[in-house]
Amino acid sequence: MSESFASVLPRPGRILPREQGAAPLDVVIAIMAFLAALSLGASLIASRAAEGWRAGLADHITVQIVPPATGDPGPVLARETGAAMAILESTPGIAHSAPLSQAQTEKLVEPWLGKGALVDELPLPRLIDAEIVPGARVDMSALSARLKAAAPDSLLDDHAHWISRLRALSDTLIWSAYAVLALIAVATAATVAFATRAGLEAHHDIVTLLHQMGAQSGFIARAFERHYFLSVMGASLAGAGLAAILFAVARGLEFANVEAVPFLPPLALKPVELLWLLCVPVTSGLIALATARISVLAALRNIY
Amino acid sequence: MVRFENVGMRYGPGPEVLRDVTFRLDAGSFTFLTGPSGAGKTTLLKLMYLAEPPSRGLITLFGEELASLRRKAFPALRRRIGVVFQDFRLLAHLSAFDNVALPLRLAGGRADDYDRDVEELLTWVGLGDRMHAKPATLSGGEQQRVAIARAVVARPDLLLADEPTGNVDADIGERLIRLFGELNRLGTTVLIATHDRSLIERSKAREMRLVDGRLIELRTGRT
Repeated sequence: MSESFASVLPRPGRILPREQGAAPLDVVIAIMAFLAALSLGASLIASRAAEGWRAGLADHITVQIVPPATGDPGPVLARETGAAMAILESTPGIAHSAPLSQAQTEKLVEPWLGKGALVDELPLPRLIDAEIVPGARVDMSALSARLKAAAPDSLLDDHAHWISRLRALSDTLIWSAYAVLALIAVATAATVAFATRAGLEAHHDIVTLLHQMGAQSGFIARAFERHYFLSVMGASLAGAGLAAILFAVARGLEFANVEAVPFLPPLALKPVELLWLLCVPVTSGLIALATARISVLAALRNIY
Repeated sequence: MVRFENVGMRYGPGPEVLRDVTFRLDAGSFTFLTGPSGAGKTTLLKLMYLAEPPSRGLITLFGEELASLRRKAFPALRRRIGVVFQDFRLLAHLSAFDNVALPLRLAGGRADDYDRDVEELLTWVGLGDRMHAKPATLSGGEQQRVAIARAVVARPDLLLADEPTGNVDADIGERLIRLFGELNRLGTTVLIATHDRSLIERSKAREMRLVDGRLIELRTGRT
């Protein structure tokens, strides 16, 4: 792959000898590309998961009928649930509404309260789940007022608070991933700059000779650009490839219904999303190209 | 072609290696530069092929005064100069052929255009059968011939040679001097730094001698 891409690069021929002992640079770049690909994958997963959560909550509202503090809650809950249902069914934009059964409500609180006698004795509210027609706009404050009028113990929850918190969480995750990517890009540039300078030192005689024979600085720079572009592309392809394999394994676990981390979305990327990981070697290569060029031109400016 | 006026040169805070050097090389001239080891011959050549700036004085090359020239213009001037380095300075990872072809590549030539020229030149210097050998596998004399072929292949306007016959036998030496003479007849200005008195005696060319960093005109010669 790199050979075909390399063929479009300006080719000053093999002016530099094949690098001996370049393995440390390749290993460092491969590790950084692996971490960059993991960060990029994590940002994609966070973005997708947050969008899924947001879409799931945004299309639903929940009406809660709070049991009265005194007296038998049964008749009150039944009367207010019926009144709330009537309001919801008559509201334009509400596609469907249905009260949750006692069993469904108990299942919701089971992770926190467990089940058994304690739950049976607790005055659980009645919950009504209503689905909004996709794209429809429902005036929540007007609906809340009408519900309050018909069922004084009702509370309307349009999940706005949760959605905003989820958005903040996903934004934090995504921007954290971008920050990690930026740090890795800077580290890659610094590593390549260091390696280029070491390369210039190692090939000082060749560079000086070419310079004295009248080679333009750009010609010498291209020899280094090409060298480090291909080297960094290869190493970062290996690193990003390893990360892609990990994400593919996670997808396999998802298919096998194995939950990698409880409560978190599956740590897997879809095949289309895996293609995004190609950005890592391409960007790394371009960073190497630019860094090598800048370093070489700066060094050549110091030669008469 | 080349003019030095009161040129002095010192490396860092050290003593002056060249002192008040003044001379002129006319276009198409052939000159020998002689002098004992350490007299400053190599330094003088370095100033001429723009490897070092002078500490003082004025150098004019191809009609351009270097001190007033922008650095961007230097590569074009350097490509008009062929240099035979005393230590050859061949690229170890390139074959003899690729080393000789290097100046043509730097000038932007295409391999198809110069392949024949390089082959012919290498054959002429007696390395027709060693074209694809790496410098490490060549003898000192063979390496020197590759270095000379590299210096002349682009038909430079100015040819500078630092002890070009130091490692070759008399026959090859004679052949190389004939090559320089041929180039000179084609218009190349030639300056050869050498210790080889027999080479100088056989020629009627101009001789300049460096002693303790000062230049003495020994023989005006003919061009």
